[in-house]
Amino acid sequence: MPRKKEPSLENCVSELRAARSGMTQQQLADLVGVTRQTIVALEGGAYTPSLALALRIAKVFRKPTEQVFWLDEE
Amino acid sequence: MNAMEKVAWTNLGVSAFAVVVVLAVTPWLGAGATGFFALLALIPLSALFLRQRGPRVIVDERDRDIDRKARDIAVGASWMLLLVGLVAATVWGSQTESHAVSTVLLNWLIWAQFATCFGVRGLAAIVLYRRPYAA
Repeated sequence: MPRKKEPSLENCVSELRAARSGMTQQQLADLVGVTRQTIVALEGGAYTPSLALALRIAKVFRKPTEQVFWLDEE
Repeated sequence: MNAMEKVAWTNLGVSAFAVVVVLAVTPWLGAGATGFFALLALIPLSALFLRQRGPRVIVDERDRDIDRKARDIAVGASWMLLLVGLVAATVWGSQTESHAVSTVLLNWLIWAQFATCFGVRGLAAIVLYRRPYAA
């Protein structure tokens, strides 16, 4: 039986960063306590963050978490 | 490349180098060549990459997850190598006249297991850093 494909977690972190007067990946990484490489992977869709990290990122942009991260269920 | 990726490359590089050196000097030194597995002692030096410099985060949740997964893969692989190696050595030993397993072979096997463990840990981490990964 074929396995059902897990929905991927999409995000708009890079757009939100750009909207915040060009906040750099390193600045965001420092604010949420991760490495720049993790922000790069997250923005590129190569990393699905933990719930705690998703909440911290949403808090930085003062947005509800579901406006920053959402499931792509197609 | 972040600090933990450098650690992974060090694990892989030092392990591969130790195996190559041991294989290269075995024709001259025989069983004594396994002493060069002591090169694996260079691996802890990779901790230098994890020194805290300034307020920036060196290791985060993604690094820890990848390291844990790589360690699980490495321990599993080296454990299987040891088991398969011991079975093979026992079967091979039972075919000889003395019905004994060579201590040289056992020594080799144990060191090869350590080298495999560190090498696979490094390789697995490098691969995981390049693949999509979820916390």
